[in-house]
Amino acid sequence: MELRRRPRGQRLISMVPMIDVMLILLVFFMVTSSYLDLDMVPMLERQDDTAPAPAATAATAGPLFVRLGPGGALRVGGRDLDAAGFGGLLAGRLAADPGLQVLILPSGHAPTQALVSVMDLAARAGVQRLRIVRLKEAP
Amino acid sequence: MKLRRARAGTEHETIVALIDVVLFLLIFFMLIGRMDATAPFMVFPATSLSGQDLPAGGETVAIAPDGRLALNGTEMDAGALSAALAAAVARDPAVVVRINAHRDAELRHTLALTGVLDDLGVKDIVLVVTPKEP
Repeated sequence: MELRRRPRGQRLISMVPMIDVMLILLVFFMVTSSYLDLDMVPMLERQDDTAPAPAATAATAGPLFVRLGPGGALRVGGRDLDAAGFGGLLAGRLAADPGLQVLILPSGHAPTQALVSVMDLAARAGVQRLRIVRLKEAP
Repeated sequence: MKLRRARAGTEHETIVALIDVVLFLLIFFMLIGRMDATAPFMVFPATSLSGQDLPAGGETVAIAPDGRLALNGTEMDAGALSAALAAAVARDPAVVVRINAHRDAELRHTLALTGVLDDLGVKDIVLVVTPKEP
């Protein structure tokens, strides 16, 4: 018995459904994804109760209180400061006291960007102890 | 002058190039995009040059410039948000909450939410920022 190989057909598998699916996926990812480069700033990191307390740094002076006005203006010790002035003040205080604690008392009407800018300046100056004071409304 | 209709050729135009381009775009958008739940309103986070890498997962609370709130893409009021966050903390006590506040949102909204989360016992709260101007 003689077996003959069938001649190859000319039909090709249609790729149209695959292109349709790919286009749908493409549009889906384009529409649903966000393309902002996002980072984060920690706002609260609760320590484990069993964890050892961090070593106390030798603080030679009290904390530095920073007020943040409704418009985002910085006020330290009764003086209005711009970003450069605040950076210089931080550098001077940190040179004298590396364990300086900075307390930020923001106005409730200040924009979030103002608080982040102050935290940014403090972090870049090398402040390790930064706290935000939040006043609760009276009942 | 006699116009003749051109004969339909039997050769098909190749679609391999089209497939290549679409596949390339698909992979490109899959790689550079983030599949986070988006807020139902426009949120431009604050700009910070000292930000750290944003952790994946957790709950995302968005705050609009006018104080509207949304949890994981669903807008809700403060009471419903507190209840939903309490349920999330009950499910996973180590849940990370990401606050995606608009840069112009007043701090009375942002810090009030931080206080609520603190009272709920959330251990890790982060504020979403961007290193570049949007």
